Amino acid sequence: MSVKRSSICGLVLLVAGAAAGACGKNKAGAPGGAAAPAHVAGTPHTDDVLDAWKSAGLKPEGFAALTPTPWVATYCEKGSVGGVDTTVCEYADDGALDRGQQQLKAEWERAGVHTGVAVRTKRTLLSAVDHQLSDPNGKTINKLVQAFRKL
Amino acid sequence: MRRILMFAAGLALVLASATAQATLVHYMSQHPLPRKVGGGFCYIDVSHVHDFGPSDPRMYRQIDGQYYFVGDPSPFNYEGPRSAYYGPHPIVEANVQFGHPEYCYLQGPHYHSYAPPPQASFEMRGGAYWYTGNYEPAYYDQRPRYATVNEAYAPMVYDRPVVDITVVPPGFHGEIVGGGPGWRATAVVGGPPPPVVQVGVGINMGGPPGGVIVEHDGGRHRGWERHDGWRGGPPQRGGWRGEPEHHGGGWRGAPPEQRGGWRGAPPQHANGGWRGAPPQQQANGGWRGAPPQQHGGGGGGAKPSHGGWKR
Repeated sequence: MSVKRSSICGLVLLVAGAAAGACGKNKAGAPGGAAAPAHVAGTPHTDDVLDAWKSAGLKPEGFAALTPTPWVATYCEKGSVGGVDTTVCEYADDGALDRGQQQLKAEWERAGVHTGVAVRTKRTLLSAVDHQLSDPNGKTINKLVQAFRKL
Repeated sequence: MRRILMFAAGLALVLASATAQATLVHYMSQHPLPRKVGGGFCYIDVSHVHDFGPSDPRMYRQIDGQYYFVGDPSPFNYEGPRSAYYGPHPIVEANVQFGHPEYCYLQGPHYHSYAPPPQASFEMRGGAYWYTGNYEPAYYDQRPRYATVNEAYAPMVYDRPVVDITVVPPGFHGEIVGGGPGWRATAVVGGPPPPVVQVGVGINMGGPPGGVIVEHDGGRHRGWERHDGWRGGPPQRGGWRGEPEHHGGGWRGAPPEQRGGWRGAPPQHANGGWRGAPPQQQANGGWRGAPPQQHGGGGGGAKPSHGGWKR
C-alpha cells in the first residue's frame, strides 16, 4: 500500500514538474504548440519596465507572459504591484496600440473598475487596475506611471 | 400567462444588461476623493478612470469629458508639493494642456500642487505667486460660471497660505481681500498670525478707506471635515451645469447661490486686464472688492491702505 502511494505521489510530481517546465518554456519562448509571443524591438520591454519599477522601490509580483496576448498586442505580461493588477504589453505598430487601448477601455466600461489607468511609452502600453481598493489614494499607481513614462 | 412570463424574462434580461454596463468617470488630474470611498486625495496625475464622480463639481472643469480639479488641494489631506497663489490666475500646470486659456477663480490666498513656469507672468512676493499678466476675454466670460468655486470653499476652514499683501506687485490686477466666508484659519494677510480678531490691512484700489477685520479661530478645522461633497442641487444660473454629485457624503451646507458666483462688472478697459468690481452687499458669497479702477496703470499705482473686504 505504501509502495502504491509513493508511486502515485511520484507520478503527480512528475506531471507537476512537466507542467511547470512547460510554463517556464512558454515565457522563455520555447517552441511547442502555438508560437510563443516574442518581444517587440524598438520599444521598452516588460523586463525593462519591471526593472524600472524595482528601482523606484516598487515590488512587482507574479509577472508572467499572457498567451494569447490580449488587446491585439504582440507581447504581454501580467502581474501585480502593491495589489494593483498590472499588465504591460508591447505593440508592433502605433495603429495596433491605438486599437488595443480602445479595446482595453471598452473592457473596463463593460466590467467596471474602481480605478484604472492606461498609459503608453513608445509602443508599450501599461494598464494598471485597482479592483480591490488596494491603492485607495492612487500613490502606487502614480509611482508605476511615473517610472514607466521615464523609459 | 406564458406571454407575461416571456415579457418578464425579457425585461429582466434588458435590465441585467443595462446594469452590467459600468459607469466610469474620467479624470485628467489629481483630485479630492469623496468620503464614500474613504476621502482624502487621489494622486494619479495622468488621465484615469474611477467608478465614482467628483465630490463637488464646482471644483472641477470638464475638458473633453474629463474632470480637471481646479481647486486648492489643502483641505483634503493633500501631502504633495504645493505653491501659494494670491487671487485669480491662469491655470499653468505644466503637464496639462487645455488648448485654450483656463483660469482659477479662487479669491485671496490659496494653494495649488503646481508652481507657475518661469515664462508665465507671475511674480513671487510676500510668500505667494501673483498673476501680473492680462486676462483673456475668456476669463470674464467664464467668471460667472466658475467663480462658484469660492462658494464651494467658503465653509471649509483650513490653513491657507499666509501672504504679505503689503508687497503686492504693481502688475497685479486682482483684488486684495482680507478674509471671506470660511476664512477662519490661520490664513491671510500680512501681520502676525493668529490673534483671535485682527485688524489687518487691505489694499484699496480706489475704494473707500476702512479697516479689514480678519477673524481667526486658531486653525480649528471645520467645513470639509464634516461635509464631504455635494448634496445640494446644481446652481441654477451661472454655475455648475453638469450632473450634481450623486454619491453619499456631500456638502450639507447651504445650497449653492441661485444667482451664481461672480457679480462683478465686466472689464472696462482695453489696455490692462481686470481691475476689480464694485463692492457687493450680498451677505453670502460673491465679490466684495474695490470699485472699478481708473484708466491705465493696471493697478500699478496701488498703495497699501485701508479698505478691501469687509465683513
